[in-house]
Amino acid sequence: MPDLDPTSLLVLVPALPLAGAVVTVLLGRLLGRHAHWPALLSIGAAAVVAVSLLVGLAREVLVTESTTHGPAAITAYERIVPLWQWASVSDAYAPAAGTPAAAAGEDLAARAADRPNSLPLTLGVDLRFDPLTAVMLAVITCVGLLVAVYSIGYMHGDPGYPRFFALVAAFVFSMSMLVAASNFLLVYVFWEAVGACSYLLIGFWFSKPEAARAAKKAFLVNRVGDFGLAVAVFLLWMTYGTLNFHDTTLVDTAPLPGILGQLRLADASAVVGGAVGTAICLLLLLAACGKSAQLPLHVWLPDAMEGPTPASALIHAATMVTAGIYLIARCAPLFVGCPGALTAVSVVGATTALVAALIGTMQNDLKRVLAYSTISQLGYMFASLGTGTLLGFTAAIFHLVTHAFFKALLFLGAGSVMHSMGGVIDMRRFGGLRRIMPVTAATFLVGSLALAGVAPFAGFFSKDEILATLHAKGWPDAHGTHGSGHHADGHAGGGSSPYRLASVTPTAAEIAAGRPLPETVGLDALDAPGTWRVLFWMSLVTAGLTAFYTFRAVFMTFTGPTRVPDEAGHHAHESPPVMTLPLVILAVASAVAGWWLFATHLLADFLAKTPSLATPVIAATAAPHAFHWDLAIQGSLAAAFGIVVAAFGHLGRRSDGPQMERFLGPLGTLFANRFYLDQIEAALVVRPLQVLAGLAAAFDRYAIDGLVDFVGRIPVALGAIVRRSQSGLLQRYAVGGALGALLLIAALWWRLTG
Amino acid sequence: MPATSLETFVLVAPEIALVGAALVAYLGGAFLGLRHGWLVALAGIAAAAMLGGCQAVDGAVTASGGVVVDAFSTFVRQVVLALGALVALVQAGDVFQAAATRGPGVHRGGTCEEAGTFVLLLAGLSLVACAGDLVLLFAGLELVSIPTYVLLGLKRIDGRGQEAALKYFFLSLVASALFLYAVVCLYGIGGSTNLQHIATRLRASDGSTGMALALVPAALGLAAVGAAFRLAAVPMHFYAPDVYEGTGPGNAALLSTLPKVAGLVVLARLVALGIAPAVGPDAGSVGPAAAAHLDLAWQLIAILAAVTMTVGNVMALWQRNLRRLLACSSIAHSGYLLVGVAVAAAAAATRAAPAPPQAAGGDLATLWTGALGGMSAALYYLATYAPATIGVFGAVAYLGHRWPQWASGDGPRPPREEISTVDDLDGLAGTNPVAAFAIAVFLLSLAGIPPLPGFWGKLSLAASALEVDWTVPLAAGGRRTWFVGLAIVLAVNAAIAAAYYLRIIAAMYFKSSRRGVQSDGGLAAGIAMLACLVIVAAVTVRPSSLFAWATLAGDAVSGAMPAATTSVPPSSTLDVTAVTH
Repeated sequence: MPDLDPTSLLVLVPALPLAGAVVTVLLGRLLGRHAHWPALLSIGAAAVVAVSLLVGLAREVLVTESTTHGPAAITAYERIVPLWQWASVSDAYAPAAGTPAAAAGEDLAARAADRPNSLPLTLGVDLRFDPLTAVMLAVITCVGLLVAVYSIGYMHGDPGYPRFFALVAAFVFSMSMLVAASNFLLVYVFWEAVGACSYLLIGFWFSKPEAARAAKKAFLVNRVGDFGLAVAVFLLWMTYGTLNFHDTTLVDTAPLPGILGQLRLADASAVVGGAVGTAICLLLLLAACGKSAQLPLHVWLPDAMEGPTPASALIHAATMVTAGIYLIARCAPLFVGCPGALTAVSVVGATTALVAALIGTMQNDLKRVLAYSTISQLGYMFASLGTGTLLGFTAAIFHLVTHAFFKALLFLGAGSVMHSMGGVIDMRRFGGLRRIMPVTAATFLVGSLALAGVAPFAGFFSKDEILATLHAKGWPDAHGTHGSGHHADGHAGGGSSPYRLASVTPTAAEIAAGRPLPETVGLDALDAPGTWRVLFWMSLVTAGLTAFYTFRAVFMTFTGPTRVPDEAGHHAHESPPVMTLPLVILAVASAVAGWWLFATHLLADFLAKTPSLATPVIAATAAPHAFHWDLAIQGSLAAAFGIVVAAFGHLGRRSDGPQMERFLGPLGTLFANRFYLDQIEAALVVRPLQVLAGLAAAFDRYAIDGLVDFVGRIPVALGAIVRRSQSGLLQRYAVGGALGALLLIAALWWRLTG
Repeated sequence: MPATSLETFVLVAPEIALVGAALVAYLGGAFLGLRHGWLVALAGIAAAAMLGGCQAVDGAVTASGGVVVDAFSTFVRQVVLALGALVALVQAGDVFQAAATRGPGVHRGGTCEEAGTFVLLLAGLSLVACAGDLVLLFAGLELVSIPTYVLLGLKRIDGRGQEAALKYFFLSLVASALFLYAVVCLYGIGGSTNLQHIATRLRASDGSTGMALALVPAALGLAAVGAAFRLAAVPMHFYAPDVYEGTGPGNAALLSTLPKVAGLVVLARLVALGIAPAVGPDAGSVGPAAAAHLDLAWQLIAILAAVTMTVGNVMALWQRNLRRLLACSSIAHSGYLLVGVAVAAAAAATRAAPAPPQAAGGDLATLWTGALGGMSAALYYLATYAPATIGVFGAVAYLGHRWPQWASGDGPRPPREEISTVDDLDGLAGTNPVAAFAIAVFLLSLAGIPPLPGFWGKLSLAASALEVDWTVPLAAGGRRTWFVGLAIVLAVNAAIAAAYYLRIIAAMYFKSSRRGVQSDGGLAAGIAMLACLVIVAAVTVRPSSLFAWATLAGDAVSGAMPAATTSVPPSSTLDVTAVTH
């Protein structure tokens, strides 16, 4: 094999877990209580490959960076690993005039002169490798590995032991493919595949009615988001004439620019904005809201806690729910062309963060506290993405990485508690567990400090960056370094989107060259500093709330008089080493990762080389790395305030006291009932749909079915007639053939002469 | 007839290998006590495939002594050999009935006869694929038919088996006689048995056309009926349900695939007579006789296609017996295949009488132009239909028998019963999940559910039909109206077919039964089933290679303009690496 590109090893990252899943399915019963080995080994090997690819790429990219520093040298790195072409349809697309696809089609027109501008539809199975994918793959496989190890202890003795590991391996496969796919069709396929794995894992104990109901709910709510993704993919095809992220070269023609390919990114006008662009972005946002449990599609995630806790840690905290973040970051060039849609991302995110944090303060189920915390933290990431600056995108991914570590840690810690308490997870029923399970308590505390954003734990740094990027949008003057060159342009609309300033606003030369004026939509008015100030304050309040509910959980669970529920029996104990080891590893990562990645700027510099984030409009917003003391102090104060209030209410007390409810009064009822969002959605969406479905069912049963049954009887009746000819008599068959021949010849003769 | 030379023997080397394998099997079984006849058969097939593969032709046509080897015949040959290997495995696994009716000793010796006969059948089929001469074509067809009824007689010696064999025998004679009349008419047109000469004379526009014109309807009608017997198409479809029911799954697998290849080849060669070569001295020139030939051919075949698929499907709705049902289904699939042939004839007719220049930028139909012509679609359909069908029969042969309803452990077990009706598969998903899954996949592919290969086949057939005269407005009686109608009939039939396929799947997955499936068929049939599953899965995941190959073959016989088939070599289009530093 000459000249093997090491990037080709990328294939192994999804392929190994797939093989592990298949082997577990086939040999699961045979392996019995050793059924974890295929999944464990394959995910472990995939993690080794993913991390070494990440290191190799980081070395390559960052070395290049150090030699050519400066904004002008911003370049992108991507490599495509085409596996095979699934199907190809030539001349599938006839673009309307004026779309970017029409321009690309002209290059191909020479090939097929009678079909101007048509583009082929090629459905390729292509993987891509770039910094964003590399980071996602490393997170997925590493957390996956730790969760798999942990599950050996947690799932021990479960009758569905092989099934669990098969599903975990299948999930790691699907998720790796999702982040490594290089066209929207594959993204859609694996978007559904991770949803299917999630569904199967939520309903893992399907004989429990709550689990079955939660799985169904997750599935149905996710359908709403998936619908958005499907329509977005259709619109992308209509607009761009391709579904590929990367540029493709057809045989002996000019290259066809992919949607997120470097050819298109180099020319900002090739990205469609205006109404169509905004529609695409909003649909993608809908998809992201479904998968990442953002308002109003967040209702499935708390219920998803019915699944096994390791699955919650892996899928519903660390990886799958970040697919929405990944999708928006990947499609960053599309979003920056539509300032309104971009701001909508932030609005949704910050609102979700605040609402979920408020709900989280009143939950008594430890896992549900963490679930609402996950929703809230994902909201943070959305808020950060929506700023549309390079710092915003990298901060979101940074927070994604640190969150994956500390939230997986917290979930696994909660699982450890649950394991020891005989399945009880209601915090009011136990307390003072630090004496019984010291390792779990210590690691849980580390995770909580990270989540609360206490320096120097991981969450502090990533949260600080998110606050900084929101602050920079709200008070652009205070951050003179942020794209100061652009603000000099002084856009009349007052919008601070760098994209709009940099290239959507046409210059005189561009107007002279006949470039159409950029379309703006009403939503773009959202993008004003006032909006961003509100969002910043909401995020700051959320930070305080986060610290509060996290430490409320810590104090209720681990402090106070030692109490153990009856279900735990008399053998409440620390979990076995196979469970505590992943906790310790994750705790170390949560403690140091943030500081290390922040201090060295490795992650931000690295991610900036992703093609989607290296597009000039985003790259132009790059700011020098800075530590914002003022924001750090504000954030820390908020966190400290939250912890102090939590300590005031819960430290050292019996955990079943209704302290918070008494304090908050009617507001507490509102929070405890989750803002009645479930009920509101039931009344506004589910109930009308049920009525509509009833009507449709009646219409279907009486009108359509009657018609269909009638139509369906036609072939059956026809068959009854034709069947008579099957008399079984040879003579009749022979005569039938001969007569048929005569009839045909006569008919042909008649056609020829008549 | 061109002189036979050494080159001719080189061209038919695969057939020689097959006949050699048959001799080894016959003689070894009779005199040396050879017991593994099917291994000899498989070895012969492998050798033939390798010899055929050596004659790599890239668009080149090699003709010698009545043998023509081009992309079409290579495709058909290799497909036949691949299908032959699969059917041989099913046949080898279909042992129980023989053992039950004859006793173990006789049965073992019998495999050699069956294997040898089967290999002879493949040799005949392979000859049909590369026959460029009417005599060779007819000899090849008989070399298909005669082993078939020998196999029908050998496999089962109970009353129904003998009835099936006899029915097939007599009707085969009728069909052969009718086809011989067609051969006579063709000789009358061309004054030669060589297809090339006949084609040249047919296309000529000189004075001799009157006679040719008069003979064209008779030749077409008789040849179509002769081919219809092989295809199990109307009006020679009657035998199929009776014969399938009376024989074992191995023979049913054979009947539902291999003779259909012969029928398709005959029709393809027949249509191709009127098609002017795309390149060469007389490119594109077609006289009135050939024009009439093409015009009548597409009308005839389109009618047969519509009637055949409808008859097959509506009959299948009534069937409870599994093999009768699949027989009706195989009739319907012949109808689908005929759609492709009709489209190829109509497309050639279009080229012969150039329509006004095509307006640019049709949106829907430009979709598949150049991707698949009608003949290519038919070949692709054949190559995807056959593994699914063989897979179903392989699964049935592998399952073998089931226990009848049997209450408790006390008392002797009642004798085993052959799996014959749809109800016998009740609850199979619980007792044999692998077989149930495989059958479900095959049936879904036959029903044309995306993304299985059958879907692509039906899609390409329908799309090729819609493409005929795409730019001409719909008018009553117009060619385009015919084919739009044909595409609609195809779609409606696909919907009807889904009903009975899904009924089988529902029986396997949603019903339960206390009658356990015995699963005592031969292992070979199980291997055939899994091999078919692998093929179906491979084509599902990567259909483009087969597309490309079928396109090459179809264009070779239907004379599509090379310019219209700018197929980009698959998998080379996306080798893109964008690295910028």
